[in-house]
Amino acid sequence: MKKMKKRSLFFTVIMYSIIFLLLFPLVILFVWSFTKNWPWPNIVPKAFGLRAIKYVFSPTSKSLKTLLFSVWLSSVVTIITLFISIPAAKALGLYKFKGKRLFKLLILAPIIVPPVAVSMGIHVTFIRLGLANTFLGVVLMHIIPCIPYGVRILTNVFEIIGESMEMQARVLGANPYKTFFYITLPMISPGLVSAGSLIFIVSFSQYFTTFLIGGGKIVTFFMLMFPYIQSGDRMMASVYSLIFILTSLVLFVVIEKTVKAYYKAENYFYI
Amino acid sequence: MKRNLKPYVLLLPVMLVILGIFVSGLVMALIQSLGYFPVVGLKDITLKYYKEVLTDKSFLSSLSFSLYISFTSSIIAIIVGILLAYSILRSNKKERMEQIVYKLPIIVPHAVAALLMYNVLSQSGILPRILYNMGIISSQSEFPSLIFDNRGIGIILAYVWKEIPFIAMVVYTILSNINDKLSEVALNLGANKRQVFFHILLPLIMPSVFSAFIIIFAFSFGAFEVPYLLGPTAPKALPVKAYIEYNNPDLTHRPYSMVINMSLTFISIILVWLYHKSFKLISKYDG
Repeated sequence: MKKMKKRSLFFTVIMYSIIFLLLFPLVILFVWSFTKNWPWPNIVPKAFGLRAIKYVFSPTSKSLKTLLFSVWLSSVVTIITLFISIPAAKALGLYKFKGKRLFKLLILAPIIVPPVAVSMGIHVTFIRLGLANTFLGVVLMHIIPCIPYGVRILTNVFEIIGESMEMQARVLGANPYKTFFYITLPMISPGLVSAGSLIFIVSFSQYFTTFLIGGGKIVTFFMLMFPYIQSGDRMMASVYSLIFILTSLVLFVVIEKTVKAYYKAENYFYI
Repeated sequence: MKRNLKPYVLLLPVMLVILGIFVSGLVMALIQSLGYFPVVGLKDITLKYYKEVLTDKSFLSSLSFSLYISFTSSIIAIIVGILLAYSILRSNKKERMEQIVYKLPIIVPHAVAALLMYNVLSQSGILPRILYNMGIISSQSEFPSLIFDNRGIGIILAYVWKEIPFIAMVVYTILSNINDKLSEVALNLGANKRQVFFHILLPLIMPSVFSAFIIIFAFSFGAFEVPYLLGPTAPKALPVKAYIEYNNPDLTHRPYSMVINMSLTFISIILVWLYHKSFKLISKYDG
């Protein structure tokens, strides 16, 4: 018995050490955001201040405007992706058909095949079609990496709920539209919420695709943040990152609360 | 007949986007890599660019640098991730830890993970400061440069940081769904906890761990941000090299960049195939 306790103490120590190593860098990020002056070799900042935060929130920096624009762009991406993912997920979740495996692989592929290759390959075509440097072009590029998450989550949902309820509605005389809006949609809505939040975050975190296809004309929050990280401006980079993380976190927590009201959502993995 | 076509009709919108942008992007890259780029007058299909790039020393060192980074970071992430998952399972604070580990990788993007490593590991970062104050190093320059270094330590650790929670969640979900009875039977038959872990639990989680490995390996192999932000000037990771070639103002240079892109794609297609195989393994265990 004593030995058992010792063992579980061992694993508790391991758990806390790993969690500490994961969280510690975030604490440092947080401290940097409120720092005024932090010279070598001080372990704590010499002076705290709100200079960086004040800059971000000042009207001249355009950061807030860009943040709102980013939220808008990612919302558009989310809505379109959900819209096209629902039918695809229904097909994959409910029916057996020839080539199903190939379709599944094609839909998963954007997670694995580097977006760098895809964006550079399609860039010339986008320029020719007038899609480069436009809002629509960036939205279209963002949809690609979002599709795997949207379709996979919703496929699971359709596998769980099945087709019997829809069939019943149809048998009782509902037309396809009524069936969709009164039966299917309410049943899949918790899945839509979790798929939507993940899609939003995937789009919100896109850098290379926005950078290449947006051509500097379409500026998302991530694009503002990136140069600060690149130049090693810790204070500014930390503030931008903190705002970025908080935006995602708020969205995530709100959505989690909404979903929990329906059912305990399964965890969906995200890299 | 109508019924038979239904799934294809339902898949049409997604497939339009996948085929119209994703697949055609790759096809365009392939065509350009073969030297067909009529915009600047390149019209001959040739393998010359492949020959040149694939025998180029700097390409080969970039390729091995990329493979080395992805492999090392994925292996470390897998080991620490499994350890974390198992220790959360054995602890009594499951719920809270689960929440932290689940949310972390979702809300922190790769570029921010790079910043985190920069804040901690660079020569003016918090780690050398702590070591200095403990008297372990006596000056800033005594701390080895772990960022922008040609061993890619900063890049590897950024990926490890980002991927540990992902692996931990994948493993944790499977571990907590594995029937306790299996372990109990083994324990009853005289196995110790270590034996239960290595002979019962590990084989059961292995197929999923393998497919998770493929995903993080492929992702880190093809991702641009982290090596761009933390990488050395030479060797450059493949995606960064592809972009630098792409940016060459001389457009007749474009096929070189596309050959690099095709190499990235080719390796990732092999990985997709392996992933597919690993799923067969998982379903074998399910049955």
